[in-house]
Amino acid sequence: MSERTPDANGQPVIEVKNLTKAYRLGVLESFRTTAKRLLGRAVDKQRQFKALDDVSFSIQPGEVVGIVGHNGAGKSTLLKHLCGITTPTSGSVTVRGRVAPLIEVGAGLIGELSGLENIYLNGVILGQSKADIDAKVDEIIEFSELADFIDTPVKRYSSGMQARLGFAIATSIDADILIVDEVLSVGDLAFQRKCFERMDQLLRRGGKTVLFVSHNLRQVERLCSRALLLDHGKLLLDDTSSVVCESLFERMQGIASARTTVNTRIESTGEISLCGIEVSSDDGRLVDSIRSGQSLKVTVEFSSSATIEQPSIIIGTHTPDYIYINAGSSATEAERPDIVPGVHRVSYEIPAFPVIPGVYLIRFSVYDGNHRPVFLGESLSSFMVTPSSGEIQKAGMRLIEIPGRWSL
Amino acid sequence: MSSSPRNYQNYSDLLWVLVWKNVTLRYKQSRLGLMWLILRPLMLVGIFMVVRGFVGIDSGQVPYALLTYCAMVPWTFFQEAATDGVGSVVGHANLIKKIYFPRVIFPLASLLTKAVELIVGLAILALMMLWFRWVPGWQALWVVPILLYTMLVALTISLAGAALNVFSRDLSQGVPLLLGLVMYLSPVMYPLALVQRALLEHQAAGPSSSFLYTLYTMNPMVGVISSMQRCLLEDVPPDWAVLLPGAAMVAVLLPLSYLFFKRAEAYFADVI
Repeated sequence: MSERTPDANGQPVIEVKNLTKAYRLGVLESFRTTAKRLLGRAVDKQRQFKALDDVSFSIQPGEVVGIVGHNGAGKSTLLKHLCGITTPTSGSVTVRGRVAPLIEVGAGLIGELSGLENIYLNGVILGQSKADIDAKVDEIIEFSELADFIDTPVKRYSSGMQARLGFAIATSIDADILIVDEVLSVGDLAFQRKCFERMDQLLRRGGKTVLFVSHNLRQVERLCSRALLLDHGKLLLDDTSSVVCESLFERMQGIASARTTVNTRIESTGEISLCGIEVSSDDGRLVDSIRSGQSLKVTVEFSSSATIEQPSIIIGTHTPDYIYINAGSSATEAERPDIVPGVHRVSYEIPAFPVIPGVYLIRFSVYDGNHRPVFLGESLSSFMVTPSSGEIQKAGMRLIEIPGRWSL
Repeated sequence: MSSSPRNYQNYSDLLWVLVWKNVTLRYKQSRLGLMWLILRPLMLVGIFMVVRGFVGIDSGQVPYALLTYCAMVPWTFFQEAATDGVGSVVGHANLIKKIYFPRVIFPLASLLTKAVELIVGLAILALMMLWFRWVPGWQALWVVPILLYTMLVALTISLAGAALNVFSRDLSQGVPLLLGLVMYLSPVMYPLALVQRALLEHQAAGPSSSFLYTLYTMNPMVGVISSMQRCLLEDVPPDWAVLLPGAAMVAVLLPLSYLFFKRAEAYFADVI
């Protein structure tokens, strides 16, 4: 769908050369400084922040390119340049063709106007002619499922209805270059599925050049042939999407381990305090990342100031947004010693930890024989799961991998 | 960005849809609706008539109410178009930050919105003339070029004003205040003939009288208002000597104002 087919002139549709964008730090500049700048006079150098720093790349017609990076990496600033909203501090941006930005869903809706009026207003704002919209209006209404409410002022819509209308308008836009800035699915489940399909369709529609900005690496990997990795305004990597996404996974790992203690949640009676947590792989080496499907061994070292009889110790994992993946309790072990005052090491090993790549955190709790909580801890330590081989071929939209067999 | 003819079509559609939006929004959920358009000028005319009861303003043969309302129509148009235009870019900050199209569309849309409302003002003026049985002659056709010229006057202020307002919101506060004062420096409440009599015939300000008169006519709205009254009410062509100083001002300032806007445009999204 997205082979690099140069057009008749063999020219790229987007050419960015040594693009640098610096914003001045600080509050408002004085009226006099502004006036001087506008008149083209020299002004004193202020402290600057480079949102983009010497970025160069070019994109051929028909390419579907993902743009990934952490918050503040410069993705939005880059898109603003491609849309022509802002001008470079230095360098150049050449865009050959009409650009349609799929902006935040519903950003341009005006409450006083009816749904139908908003379709026209937003359509022309997004660069369509009135005739274009005339041709599409029925489809937009149908897609948004708002036929009965289309003459009602948008301010009386529920937020879900507004989002549906916004999404339907935004994705109906026809242009040579589509810029998709994380248009998330909106509405209820049935509509979300429609949104996904629509996005897929848009991204795969032949001949269109698409720039796709997302934090959802799996989506980028699946939909894009190529990806750009931005970091602190610099273009770190410009390669196939799988290479770029893998590299970003690895970078996230570093950040994740730097963040381990930030959100730690501990509730303790004081009888037990945590000394350390280790993650190790198959061969017993201490690691901070494992491959998806590899074995995982978590070792917890803690000290106890009291005797806890018939304890049950729980070691589990969860995602950064507190979806609890798994947990093992020592209560299932027939033989378990009491915890006596002193330092203890316990470990829990999972032969295969088959979750999708991402950051995971460890929780650890201790209950006594009466099921009284002695120590409850979450987000105690983090580790990274990196893609196993062949990750690209695997299905999206899953959390864990349960082995299965096909007969085709 | 490419600027194919197709783009121009889209931009002009955008312009007209914005005008339609402005007009519609102003009267949605308002009971008096279009009445608001004529209420303000009519009330001002009423106040002028009361004031005239004390100070005595000679309006010649023309009924005073008709003379002032005839001045009020272009003045209101100009004042509102300029004020609205100055606030137009900042008022669409959410679009400026998200989507590219020529920013000059915003002040233009403001201007055209007021031009649509002007039609209502003109209709009331026609009704008033009917009431006073004041029949216009062929010279009334001058009204069209005069009103087009008024648009240029309003743009002179709104282009530079809208751009400056992005950097400093003081403009959207200051401009309406200033224009409210300039109204008294324009022959709205009183006929131009009174100024001419005082400064040209009686040399009321001594040797500098002629100079003061030229200064007075450098306000382009002096020429606009006087021409409206002459063409509609007196059936004589515009007085070019009155129009000229103001037109010279516009001819110099409008291109500068536009260039300034174009220059500042690039910074809108970063600063707004």
